[in-house]
Order: sequence, then structure tokens, then C-alpha cells
Amino acid sequence: MLLATLAALSLGVLAACSSSSSSSSSSSPSASSSSSASASSSSSATTTSTSACGTKPGVAATGTPIPLGGIVTDQTGTSFADIANMAGAYFACVNANGGINGHPIKYYIQKEQTNPSQIASLASQLVQTDHVVGIIGNTSIIECSVDHSYWEKQGFSIIDSGIAPECYSTSNSAAVNMGPRYSSDGAVQYALTQHPSKIIFDQANVPGTSYIAAGPNAIAAAAHVPITDYAETPPVSDANSVAIKLVDAAGKDGAVVLNFTPPDALSILLAAQKLNIEGNVKLWACSTPCNTDFLAKQLGSKWNNKIFVNAELTPPDQTNTPTMNLYKAILTQYGSAVTGGIGSFSQMGFTEAELMVKALESVQGDYTVASVNAAIKALKDVNTGMLCQQWTYGSYSSHLPNNMDYTTTANNGQMTLAPSGGGCTLISANDPQVAAYRAQAGTAPLDPTST
Amino acid sequence: MTVTKSDSAAAAAAAGRRPLLRRPDKPVQASVIVILLLFVLFVLPSLMSGYYTGYMTLAAIYSVVCLGLGLLVGRVGLYSLGQGAVVQIGAWTGARLLYGTGQPFAVVVIEAGLVTMLIGMAIGLPALRLRGLYLALITLMFAGAITVVLATVNFPNGGGGFTGYNGGSLHIPPIRRPSIAGTESAYFRYAVVVAIIMFVLVYAHLRTRPGRAWAAIRQSEPAALAAGINTWFYKLWAWALASFITGVAGAVLAAEYQHLYSINFATQDSIILLAVVLMGGVYTLWGAVIAALLMQLLPGWLQSLGVSYAWLDILFGIGVLQVLTTAPTGIADQFPKDMKRLGRFLWRQVHRPSARGAPGTSGPPGAPAAGSPGGGAP
Amino acid sequence: MPSWSELEQFLVSGLALGGVYALSGVGLVVLYRATGVLYLAFGAVGALGAFLAYQMIQASAPGWAAWIVCILFGGVVTLIYGTIFGPALAGRDPLVRAVATLGLTLILFGAMELLWPPTSGATRSISLPTDNGGFTVAGLQVTWTQVIALGAGVVLTIGTGAFLRYTKLGTAMRAMANDREITATLGVPVRRVEAAAWFGCGVLAGFAGLLLADLVQLEPATLTFLVISSLAAALIGQLRSITVTFIAAIVIGVVHDLLTPFTALTNYRDMTPFVLAAIALLWVSRHRQIMTRSREEG
Repeated sequence: MLLATLAALSLGVLAACSSSSSSSSSSSPSASSSSSASASSSSSATTTSTSACGTKPGVAATGTPIPLGGIVTDQTGTSFADIANMAGAYFACVNANGGINGHPIKYYIQKEQTNPSQIASLASQLVQTDHVVGIIGNTSIIECSVDHSYWEKQGFSIIDSGIAPECYSTSNSAAVNMGPRYSSDGAVQYALTQHPSKIIFDQANVPGTSYIAAGPNAIAAAAHVPITDYAETPPVSDANSVAIKLVDAAGKDGAVVLNFTPPDALSILLAAQKLNIEGNVKLWACSTPCNTDFLAKQLGSKWNNKIFVNAELTPPDQTNTPTMNLYKAILTQYGSAVTGGIGSFSQMGFTEAELMVKALESVQGDYTVASVNAAIKALKDVNTGMLCQQWTYGSYSSHLPNNMDYTTTANNGQMTLAPSGGGCTLISANDPQVAAYRAQAGTAPLDPTST
Repeated sequence: MTVTKSDSAAAAAAAGRRPLLRRPDKPVQASVIVILLLFVLFVLPSLMSGYYTGYMTLAAIYSVVCLGLGLLVGRVGLYSLGQGAVVQIGAWTGARLLYGTGQPFAVVVIEAGLVTMLIGMAIGLPALRLRGLYLALITLMFAGAITVVLATVNFPNGGGGFTGYNGGSLHIPPIRRPSIAGTESAYFRYAVVVAIIMFVLVYAHLRTRPGRAWAAIRQSEPAALAAGINTWFYKLWAWALASFITGVAGAVLAAEYQHLYSINFATQDSIILLAVVLMGGVYTLWGAVIAALLMQLLPGWLQSLGVSYAWLDILFGIGVLQVLTTAPTGIADQFPKDMKRLGRFLWRQVHRPSARGAPGTSGPPGAPAAGSPGGGAP
Repeated sequence: MPSWSELEQFLVSGLALGGVYALSGVGLVVLYRATGVLYLAFGAVGALGAFLAYQMIQASAPGWAAWIVCILFGGVVTLIYGTIFGPALAGRDPLVRAVATLGLTLILFGAMELLWPPTSGATRSISLPTDNGGFTVAGLQVTWTQVIALGAGVVLTIGTGAFLRYTKLGTAMRAMANDREITATLGVPVRRVEAAAWFGCGVLAGFAGLLLADLVQLEPATLTFLVISSLAAALIGQLRSITVTFIAAIVIGVVHDLLTPFTALTNYRDMTPFVLAAIALLWVSRHRQIMTRSREEG
């Protein structure tokens, strides 16, 4: 009796929340999973049930498994395990709802600690021991650099979330995200729309800083706005001096653009706030890692419409499409291993898994390395429901299928779409790499569910 | 009349010097070592999967690093908390030369060792005035400084200029390997051969004058001074030797990784190095091998079992405490002793006269007398 | 050349950073003078305490309870370590005793990595109520937390110096660090004095850990190995003078931050503690050998 009352009450509250346009649905997984199970499944039944992920709802797959693999960085200070874990959650959902023509997916997630020898060992483990037929979900600071020749030799076309340059500049890797360079491009582009007198670009001193900075430098140069590049060795232990340096360099009409992992970005922004100098510049901008409700909550309302974050994927809180609801439902039901909850990492994992499943479903006959990777390469103009544009793999020498972004801003503890110019915007072709990709692949059509 | 080997040995001994090459004192142990090495070089590569080959190559490389640290700690009593930084210097130099020049791989490795040795001596010259805790701490300070410099300057990645770092590179070329060791298994063999050479180099030192000087210094530095040994010179020699072999190991490591990043070299690496070297045992050469296996192979094995790498830090911490409080000679020395004790215990169990006199359970007649071989209680 | 108003700001932030280093640096020297052990696990103990406090706050415990747990945890762990390993290693070289604390560091560090694995996106942090509010200097807001850190360093410097010199317990501690056996024969309750020293110093580590977790970052590796930079200050004080350690820590922090606006040097400024410590040590030892003796004067 009490349980039923609670369920009814929570159902009512959730229904009320989801009906408002700027929904305040919680972004932390603990809130959604602590509500009673019956309430959550019945509320998702009014939007989407997870069975929409598979072809035969409710039928568990029992055929010979299709082995897939993924390598993610997971060490003190940096972890991308959420991406692979979310992909695994999606696969679990598919396996519970018909599988791929009755075959379940067996997904091997390998975690590495940025040790190149270990990364190479894990790659050969996946291929030689686990006999995977596809690689998906890779997210690593250095894996693309270390393994790309191996994947090319073995004939794998991998779907990943890129960080290193080789994730974008080689033929056998296509990412669902934009990576540090193009995401910084997007942040700088938005900053330029506010007409700052100069741009200060600061990033973590991980390998490839000039590669990353080259994009923003080109875009700022084309707009005739001076730009200065800095780099800090991570982890940033003295955020105060960094914040002071950036604010002094930008001046009151300048814009500060950051490209750091969430902990370092947060400590710099918080330091600026504690020092009470965050208002001394025209605006702050940040690449995708800042795009979490968690960061917005930590920063507080002083930053409303003061910080603009490049969002590579469709903002989940304000979107009520079937795909977005499926994502949230799968996260709730199968995503217990995803520690970050709703946010870009789990969205990337969802999108990658979505694409892989689509490729697998198009395979006729046996699931071999050749057939599966041919199907992946054949992916063209896929509506993922998570990106601005449709996603294409194709046979190109470099890949940048996601080159259109949103911009979000902090809004009372949440990241919401920036009021002006926050919708889908193409990354500027003033970045030569972007121009080179569009010369090969053209500009993909918009995903109908994007804003 | 032929002059036999033993004659010449006797003559040399009479002259007060023992020849370097002589019949080994423990022929059984020597042949075991040779057989083991042959096994590792020729049989093991084909037995290992691709997964373990990488880890075993790292173990071979780090056995040299552990050898250097064990030499400093065990033979001379110098605790260095900065060997991780020395590896970084060797790796940087090796990578820069491999990218920038076309020199043969072996030449590059030796050059990297020499450069590291020079830098090590430059640090050692002033630092060795300090002793004990202060010396250990100043090595930690130098290591910290070197790590910051390398993190800022970044490791070479095929670019030009002195640093060889091109931050804008779209495709980072891998560091080249020797032409005779293109495959993973072949490179494993190459690393083992390099390790063997380094071990022989250190062994040669230990058997000759430096080794005796170091033993005297470890025993009592004032006494060594009184005996006329130039302690500062020999300490610097040990320092230089350790830096050289660690530099060589660093260069071989660079070609194993093929892509170098400063995030590969964490602050805690130097501390973990000291921990495993203490656990493996600083007084024997075997200790270095055990230490390297603990540091490099164990993580790979645990990962294949799905066990978190964090358990290793806990294990090494416990190991350090255990070694320092109860078993100062480490596993390499303790293990054979423990095995002997276990053997004696089992022997006693097997040969103890049974209470009911059941046939066949006792050993030879007079079993009670033979029932306590070895004599020592555990 | 940066302007004075810019440098002024870095001077202020440098003082705050120096306060951070001073707290741990002075703590290390105090421990060393009281127990003869260079407690390299200082950072790890404080960090683990801070993580426990974080966990309690996540579980909706009141803030003050979490802080007390953090501080007490530091005391208890250090006391346990000292009780077991203090006597076991009592006669050994200070170097060996310091390396033993590295063992404790690794154990605690591993425990933190295990219990609080890295999360994607959701960074852990601790904030204290003293973070809100402070006063303005040179256009910068100085929070009460930073003032507490610096102030605690000052109080510690003056207070423990006086404690060790003028109180009976303090004198007993110094005597024990010098020679445990002889002190025991003099009728000093060695076990109890030792326990007091360990516990007191552990409480200090817990307190420092809480402040550092707030001021720097709540992250296992960063907090555990921050002690190395504080060690630099302690080395400049030659592990003997608390006052010199305090001043050295402030100087390190100020120099570190003042280097920030100089473009050529800015990325090397993290070397400041190490370079200054190396120079100081080598300068002091230029004419004579420096060594730690098993019997150390107070």
C-alpha cells in the first residue's frame, strides 16, 4: 500500500517534470536509480521502454556470440571507462531484446594506464585471444597513436571517441566526438561571436598542444582577433596562479578559452571564482569536458551566461526525443557501471554502440573481421539522434564525421543551450583540417532531431 | 709440462689477485643460470602470447634498472629515490638519437647510456657529499626537477631542433627498433640480451677491485677510509655505473614503447622501484630479476584476472615494511632459505617414525636418528 | 616585464601557496624532531582522511563530524603505525625509518585508488564553510581557508617550537628522538610519550590533509605526493629548524607564483621547490659532510 502510494507520487512528480520544456530532470544517476524500480520503469513506459534498442523485444539472444572489443584509459586522475561501460549497457539491452539476428554481443573492455607497451599488448590480446571482429568505444589519451598501424594492418575500422591526433587523421578511425582540437575550435568560434578584443587559449600540456592550438589559432587569425596560447602541466596543483595569469592576460574585454579535463578545468574556474576575478574578463569558454551538469552545480549562479561550453552532442536535459529517452532508459536499467550518469561520456558510448549495432544488423552471412568492418565503413548518413549531423564513416584518409556543435552555458546548476547562437553551428572551415575533411566528404545533412 | 688452469689460478692467487675468468665457485648454480637463460631466449618467446610478450620485455628492461638501484642500495648503501628520472633521461636520449640519426641501434643504446652516465655523475659529484637520508632526499629533489623539465619539454616524437618535439604532428612516427628485432618476440630477445650484457658488466665490477671497495664501504665507511680506499671515488664509480646501465635500459624502453609520453613516467615510479628492489633483495643479482618481475609482470597478470592495479601498491607497501622490519635480505635471499626450511620440514614429516609403526611410512632403518636432518628448528 | 600590480597579485597567491607548503613542511620537521622519523606518509594519511570526510559528507553526515573523523583518522593511523613499527625500527638509521614510511604511503595510496576509483566527469571535491568570505587584497579575494592554512603554519611554528623546548612532554620527546634506550633508563614513560608524539603528529596530518584537499584538489596522487614539495622546505631547514622550514615554505610558494607571468620560465615554475632545496642542501654541505646520525640532537 505504502509502496503503491510512493510509486504513484513519484510517477506524478516525474510526469510533471518531463512535461516542462526546460526540464529539471536530475542528471545524477543516484537520483534516478534510487526511485523505486516500478516507478522508473512505468515512467519510461510512458516515454520509451528499453526494448526499442533491439529488433525482438523481450527475446533474449542465444546464438553464437559476436565478440567486440574496446580499450579505454582508466587510471588515477583520468578515466574514460564510462564510455565503454555505456556501450556495454547498450549491448546488454540489445542482447535482451533479440540480439543481432539472434546473436548476442560479447564486449571485451580493456582498461589501460597510458602505458604504450600495455596498450599494444591489450590490442593483440583482443585480436589474437578474444578474436574480436570489431573495435568500438576506444577512448584513450594515446591509444590511437600507438595502435593505429596495427588496426590498419588487421583491417579494423574502429569507432571511437578521439583524443589523440591520429584518431582523426588516419583512415581507420572515425570518432563520434570532435576531440580537443575541434571542440576548442567550437569554443573559440562562439567566443568570437561576442566580439572580444583578444583570446587567451589555455590547455593541458599533453602531447599535441600545437596540433590542438593550430585550429583555434587559424580561426582567430581569420577573424583578425589576436590569440595567445598557454599550456599548463597537468595536474594543475596551483590553480590560483593560473587563474590570475589568464585573467590578467585577457583583460576586461578579452575571452579566456580553456581546454582541460573536468577536474583541472573545474579547479581553474573555481579558483577564479574564489579569487573573485571571474568577472574581470568578457567571457569564459571551454571545450567539451566542461559540459556537465556537475560542473554547473559546482560553479554556481555567478557563472550564468558567463561561461560557454562547446557541446559535441545534443544536450540531454532539454531534449525529449525517443532516442534521448531510450538513452536515459538504458542508462537507468543497464548502466550501473556508468559512474557519471547522464552526460557527454555516456552519450558518446551510446552513440558509438548505436552505430556499431546498425552496422552489425546490415551484415549478411557470417560475422567476420572483413564483413563487420566493411559494414562499418559503409555507414552513411546515419541519424543517431545524438548529434547535429548525420554520421558517416566512408573510405576517407581522415575522419571528422562530427563537425557541427552546440554551445551550452551554465544556468543555475545545469548546462543549457546558450540563448543566442547556441544551436547547431558548423565548425569553421578556417581550420585547415576541417576544410580538408569537407573537401573529401562534403557537409553531412542535419540530423532531424537536432535543434 | 703443461701449465694447467689450476696452476695459473694458484699463481694468480699467490700474486694477490684473483683472475676474472676462472672456474665458477658454484658450478651447479652457474649451469642452472645458463640453462635458464637459454630457455628464456629460445623457448619462452614461442610459449608466450602477444599479451605477455610486452610485459616480459618490460620485465627484462626493468631488471637492469633494478640492478642499478640494487647495486647502489645493497653494495654501496646509497639509497636513490630518483632512479625513475634516470630512466627518463635514458629514454629521452635514446629516442632523440633514434629519431634524429640513422646510427645503428646498439650504438644509440650505448650513447644513451653514456649521456645518462655523464648527467648522473654531474649530479653525483655535488650530491655525494651528503649521506644517508639527506642523499636519498636530494635524489628525490633532482628527480622531481628532471620530471618537471621533461614534462614541459616533452619527449621527442620525430620533430626537429634540440628537443625533437613537434607539438603539431598529425602522425607521430614510432621510434625505430633494430633491424634484426622487428617483431615483438624478437625485440623481447634483444632486450634480454642487453640485460644479460648489463648483468655481466655489473658482475665483472663486483668480482674485481670496485666490488671489494664497495663491500668495504658498505661494511664501514670510516674503516674503508682508514684502509686507504678513496671512498668518494668508488661511490662516484658506483653512481656512474648505475646511471650508465639505467640509461641503457631507458633507451631500450623507448624503443619498446615506440611512443613516449611524460605521463608514462609517474612520480610514484621511483618509490615503487625502491619498494620492489627491497622486496626482491638488494644483495644478489637474482633480486633484480625478481624485483622487475614484481614491478612489470605482476600488473599484467593481475589485469588478465580483472584485479585492480591498486592492489599492487598495497602489496608493495606491505612488502617494504616486511622487508625492512623482518627480512632485510629480501625475497631472493629469503626464498631459498624458506624453501630449505620447507624441505627440511617435509623431510621430517616423511621420515618421522609413525606412532603405530605402520610399515612403509618410515624411511631407512634408524629413522629416528635420520628424522631430524639439518637440525635447525624453523 | 610584468607590472607591479600584476606581480602584487602573484605575491598574494604565492603567500597562500606558501601557507599550503608550510603546513606540511613544518609538520614533517615537528614529527622528525619528536620521533626521529621522517614521516613521508604525511600526505597520504591526510589525503585518506579527506576522502573519508568526503564520503561522509556524501552520505549526508554533518560537516563538522566529517572533519573530526578526518583529523582523528590521521591520528589513529599514525598512532597504529608508530606503535607497531616505531619500536621495531627504533635503532635503525633514519633513512631506513623514512623508507619504511614510504611503505605506509604505498599502502594508503593503493587503498585510496581502490576505494575511490577515478570517475569520469564527476570530480570529487571538499569545500569548507570558510571558503566563502574573506577579504580583498590587491584586487584578489583571500578566503578564510587560506588564512587558516597560513595561520596554522605560524601557530604550529611558534607553538611546537615552544612545546618541544619548554614542556616536560616536549623535552621527553626530544630526548627519545635522540636516544630511546637512555631515555627509558631515565624513567621517562617511553611508550606513552612515543604514542603521544605519533598521535599528535597524525592529528596534524589529518588537519593538513583536510585543508589541502580544499585548497588544492581531492585527488589521491596529487595530495599524496604534494608532500614532496613540502619536503623541500623541510630540507632547507635541514630537518632541524622549524622556523627556517616555515620561512622556506613561504619563499618557495612566493617564488613559484612570481614566476608565473614570465613566459620563458612559467612552465618550469613547478621545479621551484626542488631547485631551491637542492641548492640549499648543496650550499650547506659545501665544506663538510652532512649526515644523519642515529643520535640526533634536538
